[in-house]
Amino acid sequence: MVRSDVCRPECGCSNEVPSNMALTDTRTESGTEATEAAHSAVPAPVSLLGSGDHKALGLVYVVAALLFGAVGWIISALIGAHSLGSGTFLSESTADGFLSGSRIGLVLLVGVPVMLGLATYIVPLQVGANTVAFPRAAAAALWTWVLSGGLLIVANAIDGGLDGGRERAVDLGLLAIAGLCVALVLGAVCVITTAIALRTPGMRLDRVPLFTWAFIVGGSVWVLTLPILLGNVVLIYVDHHYGAGTSFGSAGSQWAQVSWIASQPQVYALLIPVLGLVADVIATIAGVRQPNRNVLLVGIGAFGVLSIGAWAQTAFYPEARNEPLWAGMVLLIVLPTLAVAGGVGAVLRSGKPPIKSPFLLSIVALLFVLLAVLVGALAVLTPLELRDSSAFNTGQFAAVLAAVIAGAAAGVTYWAPKMTGRIGTDAPAKLNVLVILGGGALASLPLLVLGFSSRFTVLADAGDALEVVAILGDGLLALGVILTLLTLLAATRGTPAGEDPWGTGQSLEWACASPPPLANFGELPAIVSPQPLLDAADSSKGA
Amino acid sequence: MSSAHALPAPPLQRPRVLMVGTAFMAAASIMAIVGMLGVYLAQRADFLSSGSVWLPTGASVPLQQPNTMMITLIMSVITMQWAVNAISRNDRGHAYMALGLTLVLGAATIVMTSYLFTLMELDISSGLQGVLIFSITGAHLLMLIVAMIFVALMAFRALGGQFAARQHDGISAAALYWDAMVAVYSILWFSIYITK
Repeated sequence: MVRSDVCRPECGCSNEVPSNMALTDTRTESGTEATEAAHSAVPAPVSLLGSGDHKALGLVYVVAALLFGAVGWIISALIGAHSLGSGTFLSESTADGFLSGSRIGLVLLVGVPVMLGLATYIVPLQVGANTVAFPRAAAAALWTWVLSGGLLIVANAIDGGLDGGRERAVDLGLLAIAGLCVALVLGAVCVITTAIALRTPGMRLDRVPLFTWAFIVGGSVWVLTLPILLGNVVLIYVDHHYGAGTSFGSAGSQWAQVSWIASQPQVYALLIPVLGLVADVIATIAGVRQPNRNVLLVGIGAFGVLSIGAWAQTAFYPEARNEPLWAGMVLLIVLPTLAVAGGVGAVLRSGKPPIKSPFLLSIVALLFVLLAVLVGALAVLTPLELRDSSAFNTGQFAAVLAAVIAGAAAGVTYWAPKMTGRIGTDAPAKLNVLVILGGGALASLPLLVLGFSSRFTVLADAGDALEVVAILGDGLLALGVILTLLTLLAATRGTPAGEDPWGTGQSLEWACASPPPLANFGELPAIVSPQPLLDAADSSKGA
Repeated sequence: MSSAHALPAPPLQRPRVLMVGTAFMAAASIMAIVGMLGVYLAQRADFLSSGSVWLPTGASVPLQQPNTMMITLIMSVITMQWAVNAISRNDRGHAYMALGLTLVLGAATIVMTSYLFTLMELDISSGLQGVLIFSITGAHLLMLIVAMIFVALMAFRALGGQFAARQHDGISAAALYWDAMVAVYSILWFSIYITK
C-alpha cells in the first residue's frame, strides 16, 4: 500500500450535514456528496454550529474541555486555600458547592470530554471511516455538553450546584449535570458505533489501534455508568424541586450520593482511553510494532471491567468499601495496569524512541496511572485507615486527573500536526512535560501522604504545609492545560506538515492529508495487520 | 434469462450501524433505570429490616392497572415483531398496520400509567417512597415516549418507502429499543408493583 493511494485530499465534501439527513442516519461512506468547498482545520464559527464533521466536533470538545480544566483546577486551589487554618476563606455553602462542582466538573467537563474529543477526531480516522456514525447526533451531543457545562459553572458561581445554598441555583446545577450525562453518553455512543460498525474492510476488532480499542472499552464503561449518575441526579432533583427536600434532596447529602463517580474504582474509568493513547504514541514514536499486542488488548479490557464502580455507592450501601468485591477490584486492577506498562517497556526495549514531547508526556501519563492505581491498592489495608480519609481520596483523584491531563497533552501534541496541518515549535509542549509532571506530583503526593495522618498523627501537624504544596500543584495543572492549548495554537503557526509528520506512523490517521479532508479517505485497500502503514513501508522496501 | 437477472445484487448498505448505536442507547437507558431501582431496593430493604412498613399511611399501589399495562406491552412486543417480519417480506400493508398498533398500545400504556398515578394517593413530598416511585416510573414513561417517537419516525420513513426486505435496519432498531423498554417495565412491574 502506498500512502498516496489511500489519501484523497481532493475528496472534500460540504461541511454541512445534509438537510435531508435524519438524526439516526450516517453519512454514506463513498464520499459522493463531495463539493468544491475548501476545508480548513478550524471551521469558521458560524459553519461550526451546523457542522457534523467529526474533526470540527472533536476540536471543540478538546479546546472547551481544556478551558473548563483551567477553571476547574483554579477552583480546586480555592477549595484547598479554604481548608487551610480555620476554613473561613469561603462561606460553608459556597465551599460545599465549589467542592462538589469542581469534582463533578473535573470528571464531566474535563476528564471524560477531553478523551471523547480526541476520540471523536481520531477514531474515525484510525478505523478508516469517512465519518463518525450519526454525525448529527454527535453534533447535538457536543452542543448539549457545551451548554450544560456553561450552566453548571453559572450555577456554581451563584451558590448553586450540589449542596449549594441557593435553592433554584441548585436545581439549575442538577439539570446541568443531567444534561452533561446525556450528552456524553450520546457522544460516546456515536464514536463507539463508528469503531464497531464503520471499520474499513480487513480491520478486524483485534486489529484496531490501541487508542480506538481503549475508547471502545472506556466509552462502553461510561455508557453503562453515566446513566446511573443520571439516575442519582434525577432522584435528587425530584426530591429537591418537587418533594419535601428531606431525603435525596436534603442539603449536605447531595454530593455524598454521587461521590462514587470520583472515587475508586469508578474514577479509574477516566484512565482507560489514556492507556491506549499512551501505548499508541510510544509505539509510533519508537517506530516499532507493539510486541505482545494481544496482552495489551486483554489488559485494557480487564482494566475497563475492573473500573465499573457504580455499585459502590456508599451513601446507600455504607458497607460497600468493606466488601471483598471492592477490595478485589481495587487490587486486581493493578495487574492490567502492569501489563500495559510491561507492553510499553517491551517497546522501549525493542526500539530507541527519540526524546520527543508526545513520548515524554505519555511516559508522565503512565507514571501517574501507576501512581493512582498502586496507591489506591493501599486502601485495602485496613490498619492504614485510608478508605475514609478525605485527604487520601482527594490526592488519588488528583493523581488520576493528572494522568488524564498528561494523556490529553500527549494526544494533543502527537495529533496537532494532523489537526492543524502544520508543525509548530515544540517549546510549549516541552515546558508542559515539566509543568504537568510537577503539578500532578505536587497536587497529589502531599495529600496522599496526609491521608496517613490518622495512622501516623505526627503528619497532622504538617497538614497546612502539605495543603499549601497541593494548592501550588493545582495551579501548575491549570497552567498545564493552558500550555496544552498553546501547543495546539503554536502548531497552527508552524510549517506545513505532510501526511505522516512523525515519519513512523502506523495507523490509518497518518495515511490521509493533514488536516484530513471532509470525507477523510477515498477507497482504502484491505487491512491485513494492526499496523497498515508499516505493512505498506515493508512492501515498498521489498519491491 | 435476461441480462438483468444475471447481474449480482447491489451490495448492502454497511449494515448494523443503527442497530449498534441503538443497542448502546438501549443499554444506557436500562442502566439509568437499574441505577434508580438499586437505590429503591436498598432503601426498601432498610425500611423493612427496621420493622417499618414501606408505603406511607394512606398510600396504596393497586395491581390491576400495572397488570393491564404489562399485558398491553407484551402485546406491543408482538405487534412490533410483526412489523419487522412484515417489512422483511416487503409486506408494507401489514408493516404499517403493525407499527400503528404498536403506537396505539404504547399510548394506552401512557394513559394507564397516568391513571395509576391518580389512584395511588401517594404524595411526592410524603418522603423518599414517593420520590423513588414517581422518579422510576416517570423515567420509564419518558423512555417509552422516546421509543414511541422512534417507532413513529421509522413508520413515517417506511411510509416514504425507505425500508424494504434488503434494508430494514430502521424498523429493527426501533423494535430493539421498544423491546428493551418493555423488558425494563417487566422488571419494574415485579420490583415495584408485585413485591411492594
